[in-house]
Amino acid sequence: MRASPSEGQADPQPLTSPAGRGAAVIETTALTKVYPGNVTALAGLTVAFPSGVTGLIGANGAGKSTLIKVLLGLLEPTQGAAKVLGHDCVKDGMKIRQLVGYMPEHDCLPTDITATEFVTHMGRMSGLPATAARERAAESLRHVGLHEERYRQIGTYSTGMKQRVKLAQALAGDPRLLLLDEPTNGLDPAGRNAMLELIERIGAEFGIPIVVASHLLGEIERICDGLVAIEAGRLLRADTMDSFTRASQTLLIEVDDGVDALRAELARRGLRARPYQRALLVPIGGDDTYDAVRDAIAALGLPLSRLEQRRHQVEEIFRDDDRIAAPGSGEHGELEAADVR
Amino acid sequence: MSVDMSSAGRPPAAGGVIHDLGYQRYDGPRLGRAGIVAALAWHSFRSAYGFSRGAKAKILPVIAMIALCLPAVVNAFAMSRGNPRVVDYDTYSPVLRDLVLTVFVAVQAPELVSRDLRSRVLPLYFSRPIKPGDYPLAKYLGFTAAILVLFEVPLLLLYGGSVANVHGGSAVWAQTRALIPGLLLGLMWAVSLAAIGLFLASLSARRGLATGTVAIVLLLTYTLAEILLQIETQSAINSGVARPAGPPGAFAGPRVDLAEKVAGLFSPFTLFEGVRRWLGGTSTADNVPAPGAFGVVYALVLIAIVALSLSGLAARYRRARLS
Repeated sequence: MRASPSEGQADPQPLTSPAGRGAAVIETTALTKVYPGNVTALAGLTVAFPSGVTGLIGANGAGKSTLIKVLLGLLEPTQGAAKVLGHDCVKDGMKIRQLVGYMPEHDCLPTDITATEFVTHMGRMSGLPATAARERAAESLRHVGLHEERYRQIGTYSTGMKQRVKLAQALAGDPRLLLLDEPTNGLDPAGRNAMLELIERIGAEFGIPIVVASHLLGEIERICDGLVAIEAGRLLRADTMDSFTRASQTLLIEVDDGVDALRAELARRGLRARPYQRALLVPIGGDDTYDAVRDAIAALGLPLSRLEQRRHQVEEIFRDDDRIAAPGSGEHGELEAADVR
Repeated sequence: MSVDMSSAGRPPAAGGVIHDLGYQRYDGPRLGRAGIVAALAWHSFRSAYGFSRGAKAKILPVIAMIALCLPAVVNAFAMSRGNPRVVDYDTYSPVLRDLVLTVFVAVQAPELVSRDLRSRVLPLYFSRPIKPGDYPLAKYLGFTAAILVLFEVPLLLLYGGSVANVHGGSAVWAQTRALIPGLLLGLMWAVSLAAIGLFLASLSARRGLATGTVAIVLLLTYTLAEILLQIETQSAINSGVARPAGPPGAFAGPRVDLAEKVAGLFSPFTLFEGVRRWLGGTSTADNVPAPGAFGVVYALVLIAIVALSLSGLAARYRRARLS
C-alpha cells in the first residue's frame, strides 16, 4: 500500500500491500463528513486498510471516531464513499455491523452483572443463538485471559480487566474485522503491554484483521503491520510499518562541544543533520553516510562521545511530519523519496 | 516491529489459524434483525423481574406480584366459605392496583433504560446488526409484557379461585365471560404504562432520578385528577344536585358533569377508568364518572399520550446513538 495523498483522488493502484497481504478490508474514497455547524470531521479522506493489524493514528479530534462511526454505518458521510469488507457503509450498514466487532473508546460496561452474562448477551445481540452465545462468551473471555474471573461482577474488575471484557464482547460475535478505539485507554504501563500483546496475538494467531485507533504512536510501532495517520480529517500518511521504520534509520552523533560547527560541516558534505536534545541526528543513506560523518568529525577534531545507529520511534517521525501536514509540500515529497529508498 | 508478517498475512478465510489458543470460527446460523429484537425484548422482560440479576433486584417485583395477588387469594377464601365473588375482574382492587403498578413502573422502567444510559452501553448495541429504532422497540415490547404479566396473573388467580368454588358449566362460563374484559383491560394498561414509564425513565441516566420522575408524574397527575374530581363532586353536592350512592356523576347537572369529565383526563389511571366505563364497564371504582359519549375523548387522549411517549422514546435514542 502506498501513501495516497489527501487531495481526494482515488488510489489507482491495486489495493494490495507490498508484503503480499490480502485485499483491503476497508477502503474510503474522498470520504467527507461535515457536522451541523460546519464542523468538518473528515475532509476527503481516501485510504485503504490492509489485513493484519493497522494503526489508525491521529490526535484527539483528528477524525478517528467519526471515521469509525461512518465505517459502522452509524453516520452517513456528507460526501464520498466507504467500504468495509466489500460492503458499502451507507447501504449495507447492517451487514457490516454483523461482520465487525467494535470496542468503543470510553467506558461502556454495566457494573452489576457478571462478565459471562454480559458477553453472552452481547453475543446474542450480534445474532448468535442462545447456546452459541454462551459458548462463545466463555471462549472469548478465555482468549482475553478472564477465564477464572468470568463469574465475578464487572463492577469488581480493575480497569485492565474491564478493557478485556470490552475486547471480549467485540470478539464474541466472531467478527471478520475488529475496530478497536483506544484500547489502552486508562491503563498503566503493565496493563498497556498486556493489552497490546493480546491485540497482536488476536491479529496474528486468530487471523482477524484489526484496526487500532490510537493517539499514542509509540505503541503502534510495536504491534502494527501498517499505519494510517490522519490529521484534521485528512490523510497524513499511510504505509506499512516496514517503510515507516526503514525511512527512519538514523545515526545519532553526540559531541562534547562544537555541535553547530559539526552541523555546518555535515551540511557541506551533503548530510542534513538536525538537533536532537544535545546531539545530532543524521538520516542514513548508505555506507558513505558513516564515512562522511567520520571524516567531518575528524576534520573538525571534535571530541566524539557517542555514535549510535538508531531506529526512530514512529513518534519522532510524526513530530517532523507535523510541520508538513499540508499535502504536496516539498518536504513531504522528500519523505516519500526516503520511503522509496 | 514484532509481528510475524507471514502469520499475520494469512487470509482469515482459510479456516482460521489454529494455534494453542484455539480460536474457533462460528459458522452456525445467525439470528436476523427480528430475532435480535426478540432476544433483547426477552432480556428486557427478564430484567424487569430481576432475573439474571442479584437477589436484591427481585425483591420489588416479587412483593408487587404478591401484593396484587392478595385480593384474589382473599376472594378464593371468601368464596370457599360460600360467599359470592367479592372482587371484580375489571376493576380488581383499584387502589391497590394503581399503587402497585405505579411503584412497579417507577422502579423497573429505569432498570430497563436508565441502567444502559448510565453504563453508556448503548454504542455496543448500536454497533450490532439492528436499526436505531430497534433498541427502544425491544425495550417497549419487553416492558409491556412485564406489566401485562403483573396485571393478568392476579386476574387468572382470581378466575381460578372463583371457578374452583362455583358449580355447573353456566356458572363457569359466567366467570369466563367476566374475566375476558378484565384481561383485555390489562393490555390497555400495559401498552400505556410501558410507553409512559419508559419515556420518562429514559430522560435520566441516574436511576434514582428516573424513578422519581416516573413516580412523581404518575402520582401527581393522579392526585391532581382526583382532587379536581373531588372538587367537582363537592360543588355538585353543594349546588343542591342530588348525588345518591351509585355511579358518581351520573346524576349531576350537565355543566358540572363536563368539568368532572375533563378532570378525569389528567391522569393515566383516571383515563383507564374513563375508557373502561365508556367501553361498557359497569362496576364502579374511582371517582371517575361514566363519561358517556365523552369517552371518545378519554380514548383519544390516552392514545395521544402513548403516541407522544413512544415518539419521545424513539427520539431519545436517535440522539443517544450519535453521542
